[in-house]
Amino acid sequence: MEAGSAAARWRPGWRVWAVVPVLLLTLAVGAVVTSGSSLVDLVGTNPPPADEFDIRRVRFEPGEIRITVRNPQPDDLTIASVTVDDAIVPYSLDGPGTLGRLRSSDIVVPFDWVEGDPISVGVTSSTGIQTVEEIPAAVETPTPSVGGFFGYALIGALVGILPVALGLLWLPALRQAGPAWLAAFMALTAGLLAFLGVEALSEAFELQAALPSALGGSGLVLLGVALSFLGMTALAGRLNRSGTATGLALALLVAIGIGVHNLGEGLAIGASFAVGELQLGTFLIVGFMIHNVTEGLGIAAPVARSRVTILALAGLALVAGAPAILGAWIGGYTSSDVLGVLFFAIAAGAAFQVVVEVGRYVARKAPGGLTSGYALGGFLVGVAAMYVTGLLAG
Amino acid sequence: MTKRRLTRRRLLAGAAPLAAAPLLGKLALDGSARAGAHDHSSHASRSPASHLTGAGGHAAMIGDEAPAVGGPNDLDALLLPPRALPARPGRVREYTLTAIDTELEIAPGVFFPAWTYNGTIPGPIVRATEGDTLRVRFVNAGSHPHTIHFHGIHPANMDGVFEVVESGGELTYEFEARPAGFHLYHCHATPLKKHIHKGLYGAFIIDPATPRPPARELVMVMNGYDTDGDGENNFYTVNGRSFYYARYPIRVRRSELVRIYLANLTEFDLVNSFHLHGEFFRYQPTGTGDTWEYTDTVMQCQGQRGVLEIEFNHTGRFMFHAHQSEFAELGWMGFFEVVD
Repeated sequence: MEAGSAAARWRPGWRVWAVVPVLLLTLAVGAVVTSGSSLVDLVGTNPPPADEFDIRRVRFEPGEIRITVRNPQPDDLTIASVTVDDAIVPYSLDGPGTLGRLRSSDIVVPFDWVEGDPISVGVTSSTGIQTVEEIPAAVETPTPSVGGFFGYALIGALVGILPVALGLLWLPALRQAGPAWLAAFMALTAGLLAFLGVEALSEAFELQAALPSALGGSGLVLLGVALSFLGMTALAGRLNRSGTATGLALALLVAIGIGVHNLGEGLAIGASFAVGELQLGTFLIVGFMIHNVTEGLGIAAPVARSRVTILALAGLALVAGAPAILGAWIGGYTSSDVLGVLFFAIAAGAAFQVVVEVGRYVARKAPGGLTSGYALGGFLVGVAAMYVTGLLAG
Repeated sequence: MTKRRLTRRRLLAGAAPLAAAPLLGKLALDGSARAGAHDHSSHASRSPASHLTGAGGHAAMIGDEAPAVGGPNDLDALLLPPRALPARPGRVREYTLTAIDTELEIAPGVFFPAWTYNGTIPGPIVRATEGDTLRVRFVNAGSHPHTIHFHGIHPANMDGVFEVVESGGELTYEFEARPAGFHLYHCHATPLKKHIHKGLYGAFIIDPATPRPPARELVMVMNGYDTDGDGENNFYTVNGRSFYYARYPIRVRRSELVRIYLANLTEFDLVNSFHLHGEFFRYQPTGTGDTWEYTDTVMQCQGQRGVLEIEFNHTGRFMFHAHQSEFAELGWMGFFEVVD
């Protein structure tokens, strides 16, 4: 094996040699940094910085607005003036007034805002550049409470666990279906996972684009996707040493893939609800329930030919659905944009990996393999079903 | 100002950066208008305490609480005009105006890269009596070509339009001061909007040969600053510093005649205005003619100006401000402290 021969030729010196480029790089970086602006002066002058703040969060409390700002610029940025609806207002700072790179501060404005009205807050830097954040409707920001905690849990369960569990009830019907039809349903699972993967990936890129460039580019998304894809691959290998995952193992993989996605869905719901930008009406919850019921079908298809206990099925439903609760909590009570990107990237990677697993299963077990009409049709129906039910949630 | 475009994603991701499924965003938009309605009672029941803290409103914009730059007499040279001189044939009045690029602190911590006459916005008050010969030496120590364009009656080559003074150059304007009234001067180099907005303007008083009655005289030049270059003003002031006269009220005596030379050099906005609380004043447009309006609010287009005369009936603190609420809340607000 490759590793064995490498070990045989192992010499103590290679690690030392590996450090040499790093040391030289450190020296070069040090030289550039200590040269100050003289290097830049050779080719011209730097344009002045844009000096925009990054308004991360605006919270509304009775008689008070709290604005969390971050400095996304390389240079220090000083908070000089604060406006609410284009009027200069008195404020106090909970944090430094001059922000270093990526440092944050809270601006506290005593203000009798009007519930439900649109409102804009502006932060002006010492160079006069004003960053304005428009809030569509001022709503008191919820603080953690027992009621709210259970409320988010209930919402998560309604849009996550319940529809997946209902979808699993297709299992008896699937057991009666012929192999060709079962292959179609497996392909349908792959189709809906592919849809979820694309959706999560696009969301990850959108969130990443909104990040300050200092917090990472598109590579952050790749990191999340690779992390989960490779992690899921390793997991699939462990679950099924023989090669292709089947039966309960495959169902578990599908459930994990869906679960990671539902975590993101829960996050979105919790976060939007928390900042008053989302009315969690009956319509939306119903939309998500219908959207997610197909996910249950996807988990049921792999175990249609295996013996599974009710307990195992319940476990699968929890793995796929419960993360929605966790997501709603995280989204409702915290805010970290980097985490948001990673979560969605992880969801995308997991979904794509499971598509691969299911594809291998269909290729091996289905009559006619991947190119049979049942498999192709099933995949397309899966994508279309997610799209159509997604319209309900939108 | 840098308005962020409101997209579905921003709606969710901007304020709640953690996460946002695009499908949710659409509904968030539809639902947001009604989102707050259901919990109205709980907010109402909890907010009275905050009203009592009294941190909002104009109470927070007076004295030390007013966010203004500098000390109590910093702007005296711009507020208090030089003394009017009685008419005397053959007199020459000489001024030197130097264009200087400088950075001015216009609001606490906010620095404006300014082009100025003699280092201030507005520039120095130029005053002459009708019939005087005005000789203004203009030195351009700025980095761009500039001129001085005086309002008034003068020869074409003294108009400050064609004779552009390059950086490092100089030119002496000489003409007879007329007509009597309250006028302006400003740079007329192109682009005009840029040269005026950057700060090249000032008050120009020509006293009538028959002197006006003695009075406590004040000059107020209204302006605005677009600090982020989007064509909208971020700050409004009189005499160059936002909220300055809220922090340092102008002291006047009850019953004494107060005369205000008021001019509007606000760029970008069509009009500016002056409103006085608790009192009425007589207003003479352009400081010319015999028509006086008795009012408490006047409006001026950019470049318009006039003379106000007030005798305060009551002692106490009286607000004055632009009656455009937005301007007032962005710095164009101050107080008279009327004492016996």
